[in-house]
Amino acid sequence: MVRFKIRRYDGEKSYWQSFEVPAKKGMTVLEALYYIKENYESSLAFRASCRMGICGSCAMKINDRPRLACETQVLTLGDTVKVEPLDNFKVIKDLITEFDGFFEKHKAVKPYLIRKDDNYAEPKELLQTPEELNEYYIFTLCIKCGACYSVCPAAATLDEYLGPAAMTAAYRFCADSRDEGQKERYEIASSPNGVWRCHLAMECSEVCPKNVEPAKAVQLLRRKTAFSILKSLLGW
Amino acid sequence: MGVSGWFKFKGRSLFSWAFTFQRLTGVVLLIYLLAHLTYLSSLLDKTGATYESMIAITVSRQFLVFDILLVLCGVFHGVNGFRIILHEFGIAYEYRKPLLVIFTVIAVVVWLYASYVMYSLVGG
Repeated sequence: MVRFKIRRYDGEKSYWQSFEVPAKKGMTVLEALYYIKENYESSLAFRASCRMGICGSCAMKINDRPRLACETQVLTLGDTVKVEPLDNFKVIKDLITEFDGFFEKHKAVKPYLIRKDDNYAEPKELLQTPEELNEYYIFTLCIKCGACYSVCPAAATLDEYLGPAAMTAAYRFCADSRDEGQKERYEIASSPNGVWRCHLAMECSEVCPKNVEPAKAVQLLRRKTAFSILKSLLGW
Repeated sequence: MGVSGWFKFKGRSLFSWAFTFQRLTGVVLLIYLLAHLTYLSSLLDKTGATYESMIAITVSRQFLVFDILLVLCGVFHGVNGFRIILHEFGIAYEYRKPLLVIFTVIAVVVWLYASYVMYSLVGG
């Protein structure tokens, strides 16, 4: 039996509730949460979808560290498992946090290919070498789970801060050889809530379940943004 | 979450400790610098006697512990800041963990040596 200590929130107050779960080899925290919901407390709220570490829905704080519940094995966590909602997000109910702002920030950095010759009637193939793909490939693996944002001290002090995930998406497209929208994104990245707000605590890279290295992406975006500003100042 | 978000260590890595310590030492150095400049710029005594009397207090054995702590703040902030600048230029990012350990060890060694020198100077 493993004791699950869950921080719950009913819209007014936050409180802890404990449950005993018969854990077995291979059981994930997400399965344990479903077990609790089906056997003890049907009102327990949590977000989950794919159950295979792809959708990023089930990110939550498990034993003080943000992790994907669907990828975390219960038996690796000890006799007591503490489950809480992610930090730096507004809690809606129990383990469900508000992600609207997070996705708005993602949308704000224009996370798509921008081309001057967009022609949907006659689409053309955009070729890329393996080296060009490797420039940004690792940053395409982000599943927008919010783990990086939840541990970011800059996001803790400033709600409007774009955050590691959005800036990783911005860099992913800026580093793409097929993209022609770098200038637009550098302007967004150099805003007061952009790259200069990062103080390089690097905790985001430590907790990323996909090893995306958001801190590295932010620094690379910062370098590109700085050069872009320098070029425009010098009139190059 | 506010500034309390800087002081969350449970479940976090050594990088969070380095970040918080960098912030705290920065605040201490800022306060020290302001006090230092305010004191020096407010000296009206042209003979230098007031300045000398203040310095006599600051180099005393009783004051040594504050000096040592101030040097710790300066050394850590400088050495750790250099590590951060390296990474901010995209240099050696992949070696961030060993670099954090190496730079922290450098800061501690420099601090201990500086503390020993200061202790010797006040007649320890």
